[in-house]
Amino acid sequence: MSTQVHATLTDETVRKISDANDEPEWLIETRLDALSALDDLELPHVIQTPGRSWTNLEALDFESLVDPLTAAEEKDLVGDDDVVVTTLAEAASDDEYADIVRENFGSIVDPQENFLTALSTALFSSGTFIYVPEGVDAEDVKIRTEMNSRSLFNYTLVVAEESSTATILERQYSGAELDEDRYYSAVVEVAAGENAHVQYGWLQNLDQDTYNYTLKRGRTDTYATINWIEGNLGSRLTKSAVETTLDGSGSESQIVGAFFGHEDQHFDVNARVWHRNEHTTADLVTRGVLDDEARSVYEGVQDVGRDAWDTSSYQRENTLMLSDESEADASPKLIINNHDTEASHSATVGQVDAEELLYMTSRGIGEKEATDMLVKGFFVPVLDEIAIDEFRDDLESLITARLDE
Amino acid sequence: MSSEQDHLKETDTEERFSFKNEHEAALVSERGLTEETIRLISEDKDEPEWMLERRLRALKLFQEMPMPTDWPGQPDLSEVDVDKIVPYIRPDVEMREGTDDWENLPDEIKDTFDKLGIPEAERKALSGVGAQYESEVVYQNMQDQWEEKGVVFMNMDRAVQEHPEIVKEHFMTSCVPPSDNKFAALHGAVWSGGSFVYVPEDVTVEMPVQAYFRMNSEGMGQFEHTLIVAEPGSEVHYIEGCSAPKYSAFNLHSGGVEVFVKEDAHVQYSTVQNWSRNTYNLNTKRAIVEENGTMEWISGSMGSKATMLYPCSILKGRGATDTHITIAFAGEGQDIDTGAKVYHNAPNTKSTIESKSISKDGGRTNYRGLVHIADGAENSSTAVECDALMFDNESTSDTMPYMEIEESKVDVAHEATVGKIGDEDIFYLQSRGLDDDDAKKMIVAGFIEPITEELPIEYAVELNRLIELEMEGSLG
Repeated sequence: MSTQVHATLTDETVRKISDANDEPEWLIETRLDALSALDDLELPHVIQTPGRSWTNLEALDFESLVDPLTAAEEKDLVGDDDVVVTTLAEAASDDEYADIVRENFGSIVDPQENFLTALSTALFSSGTFIYVPEGVDAEDVKIRTEMNSRSLFNYTLVVAEESSTATILERQYSGAELDEDRYYSAVVEVAAGENAHVQYGWLQNLDQDTYNYTLKRGRTDTYATINWIEGNLGSRLTKSAVETTLDGSGSESQIVGAFFGHEDQHFDVNARVWHRNEHTTADLVTRGVLDDEARSVYEGVQDVGRDAWDTSSYQRENTLMLSDESEADASPKLIINNHDTEASHSATVGQVDAEELLYMTSRGIGEKEATDMLVKGFFVPVLDEIAIDEFRDDLESLITARLDE
Repeated sequence: MSSEQDHLKETDTEERFSFKNEHEAALVSERGLTEETIRLISEDKDEPEWMLERRLRALKLFQEMPMPTDWPGQPDLSEVDVDKIVPYIRPDVEMREGTDDWENLPDEIKDTFDKLGIPEAERKALSGVGAQYESEVVYQNMQDQWEEKGVVFMNMDRAVQEHPEIVKEHFMTSCVPPSDNKFAALHGAVWSGGSFVYVPEDVTVEMPVQAYFRMNSEGMGQFEHTLIVAEPGSEVHYIEGCSAPKYSAFNLHSGGVEVFVKEDAHVQYSTVQNWSRNTYNLNTKRAIVEENGTMEWISGSMGSKATMLYPCSILKGRGATDTHITIAFAGEGQDIDTGAKVYHNAPNTKSTIESKSISKDGGRTNYRGLVHIADGAENSSTAVECDALMFDNESTSDTMPYMEIEESKVDVAHEATVGKIGDEDIFYLQSRGLDDDDAKKMIVAGFIEPITEELPIEYAVELNRLIELEMEGSLG
């Protein structure tokens, strides 16, 4: 990688961020290691086919985008009494949770996995720690982040102990308009203990001057479940990966995604699951709509390892194109190393069904209204998978708002 | 943008490969192929100057291009040492050493012929060591019949001499330019032998054209070039005759196939390859399909150590149609990375891809496909279906489709499934008195039936027999 960021970023910058939070020494070291690794790290993987790169991350000018010392945000953290929802900095220096943080931080997403994760680790000023003790049922954890600066680096660590339940909703918005390019980065790690059940909803509606990198990854213990729901509506360019490593026998994961792009938005959305143990199950469902010159890139990966006996793995991706200037690229990959597997994937790209449209307009519904109804209907299979009412309502109203624009 | 420009954009441009060029210095040896070697081949064949120039240009490209190493999960090509291949490219002398004596063939290949029950004379022909009398006669008879209609079917080397205008226009120009990939460039530099098929306007060649004949004389079949030009309204079915294991002195096969399907023409290209297990099979096959033309690719990939082969159709004319039917079978130590590419560059174009794979005893199969629908290719549709069958836990099966959709008025569907051979199915067949092996064979035969029913009967039978042998573990 280039040294463009390194030129403006020094150990001193990182220490300033860390000192402001009074972080323990190991965390400062982790940040500094990530910083010094930047020079040798690559940008995250992007699909290339002959002659074209599906998402152009190289074009991002990180030097001008990244301004870590003026990071500003408004954050709401809501949780029940028996669940811990706090900043990472506080948790890392708290007697009770310091060890849990240290043990889990960076254990699921390697801070030096790529250039952007390293950048996030070195510079995050906004960290969240969610801890659900054994047997606790945390129904209503909410994180709301409003980005009020040029750049913002977020880090979220979720530890759900044995037989606990957590329902987490995270929303990302832009605050004051800045009228310049911005950069938002988020790394989320979820450790689901034995028999734990984590549902993580994510709704991104950043303004359209914002470049967004997100990596969310969970790891399941025996019989654990991690379900992800992800809605992407905002940003100019989003590179988002949602991933589960099914480490424990009998564990499960569902990844449900929805995106709706318009104008010149670009969504590079990845859903990936690694079956690493027996009797694991995965279901990946993504639906996206593209209007104007918007562009989507979808990569889905179902990777069944040698030891993953009795695996079930399903993936569906459907894209609806409303405009002839839009482009939808997709690559759903199956990587199967165990034959005791039932796996399938499917992907479709198409436009609003002309017959359905004709049927509706012939019943007196205006064409615009009919199209809107068909688009909303298109998202229903995804909305149906969302068990959290509030999240579903939010996503639905954002879709409606987009159609009304 | 016209579809012509689109097509050129997809093929012979520097940009297309520039993103890989950063590796070139490390991977391309200075020694490589030399200009002298190329001149020697060309002189030996008494080629016109323009062909020599094309070879030299290809050589230059070959030397500049990096090995393909950056594809996710691609076969390991580290053993493909271009420097080691080079000496073998000198014509004839070394070539004959390995191939003109039946006794020198590896036992596994002789065994295969035994088990296939093929008579010895035919075996020698199929393995490239002798003359195949029967085919020669058949070919000769058919040729008379076609010649009256103006059909040309001959060795590619001869076509360069006898049909220079057609060859000059079509040979590695717009369809498979040597700049396409490193092995297309290698092929362009050292190609030798192969088939030339020309079908005049509105002529239908009722019998399949079979390319067994070239194995009689061509020691250099490893770099054979096939050029098919089907003029408007014509129809031809070409069958590549490597349905038996070919033995080769060297371990790289890098063929080139170019098919021109003009308006309303219909070309079917069938091939069943069963190369020996020391062969790297790195081919480039492509068709350009004009308005309302139809291209059908039918292929079975059985042999080789590693195969990278993605037959491609460029649907350039309105209403052009493409069909891909492929089957891959990977046994122990094999890595068969194959699939299909389709570029929809015109409106109302249609493609269907049906891919089946079987992996067994640690073999790896991968479907790697690309469907590109260009802006303006409205009302195009594509349906891709991949099914993989796995026999055991040492084997691997991957599916990696890529879909690039720049047009909204389209219908794109991709589906893939992977599964093991059904215990219930086997149990059912066993309860009807079949033993375990026969039950599995029957299930596989059913699994690949959509492929075999597209092949002429003798190929279908042979394919089935080869698969049966694979399943008994009796092939090398």
